[in-house]
Amino acid sequence: MEIKYRLLKVIDTAGLSFLSPVVRLAAGEEPRKQLKDIGRWIIVPVFAMVLFGVLWSIIAPRHKTKSGEVPTPAVVLEAWDGISRFHDNESAKEEGFQLTGDSRLAELKQAVARLSEVESLEVAANQRLKEVRESTDTEKLKIIAPFKSAYDAKSNEYRDYRKSSAARLKELGGTLLEKGESERLAYLADMRAVEVKTEELKAERDALKVELEAAEEQTFPDLKEALKASTLLGEEKQFLIKYIDLVGESSREFKLAAAQETLKSSRQEFLTSTEGDLYKLCGNVIKNEKFTETIGTSQYAKPWTLPKQIVRSLFCVFTGFLLASIIAIPIGILCGLSNTFMAAMTPFIALFKPVSPLVWLPIVMIIVGGFMPDPDNHWLIVALAKVPILKEYKIDPMFLSSAITVALCSLWATLVNTALGVGSIDKDHLNVARVLRLGFFARLFKIIIPTALPLIFAGLRISLGVGWMVLVAAEILSTSEGIGKFVNDMYTNGSAESFAQIFVVVFIVGFIGMVLDRIMVFLQRLVSFDTSPAL
Amino acid sequence: MRSVEIFKIGKAYPNPYGEPFRAVVDFSLNIDQGEFVGLIGHSGCGKSTVLTMLAGLNEISEGGIVVSGREIDGAGPDRAVVFQSPCLMPWSTAYGNVMLGVKNVYPHASRAERSQIVESALSSVGLADSMEKYPREMSGGMQQRVGIARAIALKPKLLLLDEPFGRLDSLTRMELQDVMLDILNREKITTLLVSHDVDEVVFLCDRVVMMTNGPEATIGEVLAIDFERPRDRTEILQDPLYFRCLDHLVSFLTERAHLRTEPRIHDSSNLLTFEGTKPEVAAH
Repeated sequence: MEIKYRLLKVIDTAGLSFLSPVVRLAAGEEPRKQLKDIGRWIIVPVFAMVLFGVLWSIIAPRHKTKSGEVPTPAVVLEAWDGISRFHDNESAKEEGFQLTGDSRLAELKQAVARLSEVESLEVAANQRLKEVRESTDTEKLKIIAPFKSAYDAKSNEYRDYRKSSAARLKELGGTLLEKGESERLAYLADMRAVEVKTEELKAERDALKVELEAAEEQTFPDLKEALKASTLLGEEKQFLIKYIDLVGESSREFKLAAAQETLKSSRQEFLTSTEGDLYKLCGNVIKNEKFTETIGTSQYAKPWTLPKQIVRSLFCVFTGFLLASIIAIPIGILCGLSNTFMAAMTPFIALFKPVSPLVWLPIVMIIVGGFMPDPDNHWLIVALAKVPILKEYKIDPMFLSSAITVALCSLWATLVNTALGVGSIDKDHLNVARVLRLGFFARLFKIIIPTALPLIFAGLRISLGVGWMVLVAAEILSTSEGIGKFVNDMYTNGSAESFAQIFVVVFIVGFIGMVLDRIMVFLQRLVSFDTSPAL
Repeated sequence: MRSVEIFKIGKAYPNPYGEPFRAVVDFSLNIDQGEFVGLIGHSGCGKSTVLTMLAGLNEISEGGIVVSGREIDGAGPDRAVVFQSPCLMPWSTAYGNVMLGVKNVYPHASRAERSQIVESALSSVGLADSMEKYPREMSGGMQQRVGIARAIALKPKLLLLDEPFGRLDSLTRMELQDVMLDILNREKITTLLVSHDVDEVVFLCDRVVMMTNGPEATIGEVLAIDFERPRDRTEILQDPLYFRCLDHLVSFLTERAHLRTEPRIHDSSNLLTFEGTKPEVAAH
């Protein structure tokens, strides 16, 4: 029983109240009511999601785009796999590049073994693909044959009719010169009829063409499967070849050994040589020393993968959020305390709150750029590049611009809520403060801020949500590495697969936004007090 | 010895369409050191207005108030208030709530001294075991005890009670009345109690000030309650004087509260009593 209440409390504070009927049911508490709750809060949402997935799968393929069909849930899942495979491969390369000694050799051996395995598998897969393609080709021909013949027949009919009627009418027209009006009118009607008939035939032909195309586009699961298997193996082979190179002859250890060897021989040559240009030989030694040092600290140039971009986006949104809080909370408190200050701020709030991030960003980029004519040597960038985890995420002016844009767009909610919280403080509490003759700061920190805290956090929650939404837009526009950059890259890429990867991003952004919101709700609960106890 | 002199105070609220609205006029009262004065009247008659003016939470429109020889100007810890609702800070424990004022009133006291003041105040209201409880973990009665402790911990020259038991059930109210009596027996703080409960004022007070109905409310009559202190509830309830006092208060409230009275300074020399030696002066 103890455990039950503890669990319920955890669930409640975490804001996962839909789980509480499950716990209560497990504890045997009012099974009927719990089942009803489970039905409403778990089964109905799951059913709704399934329904959404089904509708999506049906509707999506019906719309053709320049990047192929709109991806179905299955395609999106595959795209997810692709994204994580890319990330795993790049991480493996990064690690492999730094391996040394026996572990490197062991890894190399394993990779070579896997490569030969993959190569034989690929041969088999390609063989199978060829067979499947042949069989599906004939099958396809068989399927489209009736459509094709119908189309061809109609097409011929249309062409023949048009030609023959044109010839007939032309000939008839030649004899019309000496005819009277009634004949000419008959001729006109004749031509009109021919025109109508031609149009009809053309429409019939076009309808048949659509049918034929639909038949041609018929997909064969076997072929798709074989193609996928072959592509996957091909990809793995490419990766292994590169990986073997990175673990083998391009590995840091290997290159370092070679460089050291060169250095040693050039030293030897300089020290022992009795003829030749010693100036040049000594220069060689210096050059080789420098080169060896560079090799020793070199890293695999890992491209940005989505997980890393997500982390950078999170850093960016939190930087902006922090900035917004630092600005908005004090100003909000001042607004709540002083009606005069509120009056002074009102026009700014009203004017700047609705401004889109897409307007702020260019302004911020130009201003930040003005502060940092030489970003790489600017003190702020240099300082940030020394922060342990942050330095791996390439903090540049674009990052700062995006963060400041996030701050500019998200600070209003916190500001307004803080002002509201401070302004709507209980008069009785203020009277207590007056009776106790609390000074300004005691009143501020002991009474005003604690009272306003729940509303301040409500504002912060909205701010973080707005910031997360704004960030992706800002990153797209500023091409600052992050989720937005990923979306932009995928959009520019324009293949069917990258189209599906944008869909993946929708779910990732949504999920992270949801988690951030839950965290804020949790914090908000921590600072909220139950002010109405049983009297 | 006189502790509080209230001289002809009045409260007027501005009225945009005519003469200012005068809620209270010509309210004059002297309170002796250690005296417990009750203030009753119909609701809306201006009892709380008088109390908040004394507390310094409400501006005084006319007249003046002198507490311990100094005219008051604004609120201050020499006049502690217990409000009708406990008004505790929900984010602080009972201890923290009392400490909030103590810290400010005894800025030069050491940490241990302050802590001792807070603890003794909480013990005197019977909360020695609940110091670390948060308001949400306490009943209304307990919360109001914290409110009282917060007020007496400041060692005020004048304690102002604004219907402090009005929101409690009758059993809790009796408990708290006893707590209040205990404290006042020990500490002898000059106290003004605003209430609309006639039993309460008769049981607790040395003197009851009856206010006429507003607007332009003022003192109607003043009644001395000559029970010995310390008082015992069962003894008092059996005393015929108790019922005569009750009768008088009720008859004032039902029959004479609407009558106008001559302005007069009321103190312990011109009282309406039943048993005492002083003549009935204020009768109409």
